[in-house]
Amino acid sequence: MTDLDVSGTTFGVIVGSEPAPWAGPDEAPLESRSNGTDPATAVIAGPTRVAPPLVTPPLMTPPLMTLPNRATSRTRSRRLPRSVERLAGVAALFLAWELASRAGWISPDILAGPSTVLTAGADLIRSGVLIESLWASLQRVLWGMAIGIPLGALLALASGLSRIGDNLVDANVQMLRFVPIIALQPLLVVWLGVGETVKVSLIVLGVAFPIYVNTSSAMKSLDPRYLELAEVVGLNRFQLIRRVVLPGSLAGFLVGLRLATAIAWLLLVFAEQINATSGIGYLMTRAQLFFQTDLIVVGLITYAALGLLSDGLVRTLERVLLRWQPGR
Amino acid sequence: MIAVTDTAVTQTTGPHATLPPTTRPLAVSARGVTRSFGGREVLRGLDLDLGPGEFVALLGRSGSGKSTFLRALAGLDDGFDGVIEVPVQRSVVFQDARLLPWATVLDNVVLGLPALEARLAGLAALAEVGLEDHARDWPKTLSGGEAQRVALARALVRSPDLLLLDEPFGALDALTRIRMHVLVQRLWNRHQPAVLLVTHDVDEALLLADRVLVLTDGSISLDVAVDAGRPRRVGDPRLVDLRSQLLSELGVEENAEGRSSAEIPNPQPPNEPLTHEEGAIHP
Repeated sequence: MTDLDVSGTTFGVIVGSEPAPWAGPDEAPLESRSNGTDPATAVIAGPTRVAPPLVTPPLMTPPLMTLPNRATSRTRSRRLPRSVERLAGVAALFLAWELASRAGWISPDILAGPSTVLTAGADLIRSGVLIESLWASLQRVLWGMAIGIPLGALLALASGLSRIGDNLVDANVQMLRFVPIIALQPLLVVWLGVGETVKVSLIVLGVAFPIYVNTSSAMKSLDPRYLELAEVVGLNRFQLIRRVVLPGSLAGFLVGLRLATAIAWLLLVFAEQINATSGIGYLMTRAQLFFQTDLIVVGLITYAALGLLSDGLVRTLERVLLRWQPGR
Repeated sequence: MIAVTDTAVTQTTGPHATLPPTTRPLAVSARGVTRSFGGREVLRGLDLDLGPGEFVALLGRSGSGKSTFLRALAGLDDGFDGVIEVPVQRSVVFQDARLLPWATVLDNVVLGLPALEARLAGLAALAEVGLEDHARDWPKTLSGGEAQRVALARALVRSPDLLLLDEPFGALDALTRIRMHVLVQRLWNRHQPAVLLVTHDVDEALLLADRVLVLTDGSISLDVAVDAGRPRRVGDPRLVDLRSQLLSELGVEENAEGRSSAEIPNPQPPNEPLTHEEGAIHP
């Protein structure tokens, strides 16, 4: 509880300071500026050259208003949490969809209703088909990321740490990254056939580029003041990389990782729509032949869930690895 | 010792082997240091000697080249002409604390030092600045003053023979700055490095330094000893004349009576016409 009145003509000064746990009893007397006019509190004074006298207007008492506080504020009135409100919107859409399907306004050949989709999904889980397909798809993404992430990161290191590396790697990567990866599919099929290798290779390429671009740009935009500090404290090259360059570009790498996961799933969907014999995409392509829209929707939901899950994983990783960042 | 010349960096065994053997021992020797940026000469044939354990303040208006000179002494700039000799062991404290945000406070203090015994020394240094409880914290949790104390600990743990302070209190609030002055004096008393404090605050220079230099147009225009004993206070009568001398050397005219603002505690009565006093504004 703090009380304060300021009358019409007063110049009020509030002086505050952080506590000094280090000012022990052995402290030298704190008298450097204690001669009554601390710079923080001193009113600048001392008439030497008097300005022409001003005509002082009569004192007026301004009307006062009471500011809203915690009890009276309108913006803080009790409401549902924002997330609940948003979920209500989603629920309304699904309800409308279900009602439209039940009423026969949407034919099952066009789009199966939510309850039909749920049943189909439950059947697929029970028969083990969904898990099997999920595992086949997941493996492709995991392999793609397991190769693509180190590839992108190593290339970024090579270009970030040496002039030769930068000349050799960066110009070429910056040129190649404008080639749409999907358009490489025909060439990759010619080189690698139609097996798993092509699908994994597509994902590797899709992952490596965003990792490279974001990591290397973070490395190049590292605050030069930290490099100066490294010089002043005499870090050697290895220490400079380990203590300054790598942690300093971690945030950029993680941005790349989030993009890379999104792209990995996108490319998986594309790769699986073409000549796959297993996986979620294969499940959906087969369902398409028999107008099984419920199975197609199950596939869509699975993709969405996987994307959401992996994005959540990367966010968690960011929260843990970047907990030193201000504002976290 | 390292002798840094405009042409080569040579490692010699004795202290300042290139100087004649009769001269007194030095912590810094600069001869004819010249530095220009894009044709503009910022430093012009600057000469400076600093004795071991001497606390010297370098004053100058903004743009006078004082930070340029400090950066050269720190080894951050090799684009100068002339000869600069400095000790191998030297530390810098910048105006910003410059802590690596991704390293804990202790890791920042011992940055680049060999592992185990350095951590103990680092904890001791943190204790000296009163922050041993923050050893495991992230820099983002520190206030500005605390961060600058960590930077001091990082400088001191390297047992420097020369401590370079580049306006280290410039970004701090007035109250924290007073505490930092006390702390720096105490640390200097205990460790006795030669100190070069770059500042634009005349009172700070008079409070802390044995010797005050003024840098004007790229060379030392004034070099005076501060005779007052320690501890000192800002309004110390022995320092009033010196303060006026320094201010006028820096191009700030004091008022006619020669009074400093600190001697006039009477507040203005209300509704009086406002007055203005040149030179009373604290830097």
